[in-house]
Amino acid sequence: MKFQEAVKKSIEMFLDGKMPDRTAELAESGQLMFTQEYFDLLEEEIMGEPVEKEEEVEDAS
Amino acid sequence: MRPDSPIPGANMLADTRHYAWHRPPDIVEYDQAVDFMIKKIDDPYETQMVMAMLKIDAQISTIVSTLLLQAVSVGKFGIDLALLTAGPLARYIEIMAKNADTPYEMGVRDKDEIVITPTLLKQALGIVDPDDEPEMPEEETPALEQPTGGLMAMPDEAVAPQDEQMAMLGGVEEEEELEPEDELS
Repeated sequence: MKFQEAVKKSIEMFLDGKMPDRTAELAESGQLMFTQEYFDLLEEEIMGEPVEKEEEVEDAS
Repeated sequence: MRPDSPIPGANMLADTRHYAWHRPPDIVEYDQAVDFMIKKIDDPYETQMVMAMLKIDAQISTIVSTLLLQAVSVGKFGIDLALLTAGPLARYIEIMAKNADTPYEMGVRDKDEIVITPTLLKQALGIVDPDDEPEMPEEETPALEQPTGGLMAMPDEAVAPQDEQMAMLGGVEEEEELEPEDELS
């Protein structure tokens, strides 16, 4: 299998909602941050009504 | 003869220690790798490049594989982690394309896509091929019960009931016919 084909297959799996569970077990928090739900929320946030966010005030010091 | 081929054994003399894929990768965690790639795409130059590729009808899967190969070649992460990050990266580029109202094509097979087979095509055209008609399955005859007591054992059906066996062996006393009692006496 070529790299391009493997990438396509990986994208298909992700879009089907399949996540690397074993990889999640290795994560420090036990779950992955960048999941399908994360990107759905991000899409809602970007495409939908603008969500007001509190800007982090950086210390000038 | 291939004059441009490498000299046999040249790999033994080449110094390949400085290739990125001969060192441990910089990133080994999924979230870190996705975060790195998203930050990379958010760079104005990379964003322009991605949008330009989308506008020349490049598929998102092609863009993703190009970006991932770049990261692998400089030793940011291994090739297996690159494959794991392909999905999130494609989804992120999809959101970018939607936000910019740029038409895009993911480049993967749609799961609702119908695969056209010769049988499906024949059905659609109304062609009935007699060779394709399903054969009627033969009636199955029930298998005979195998004897359970070994190869030479008698089948269970042929074994006489216990009382019959006892009768044959003479174990049951025959009822003697009693003479009718003389009620009158």
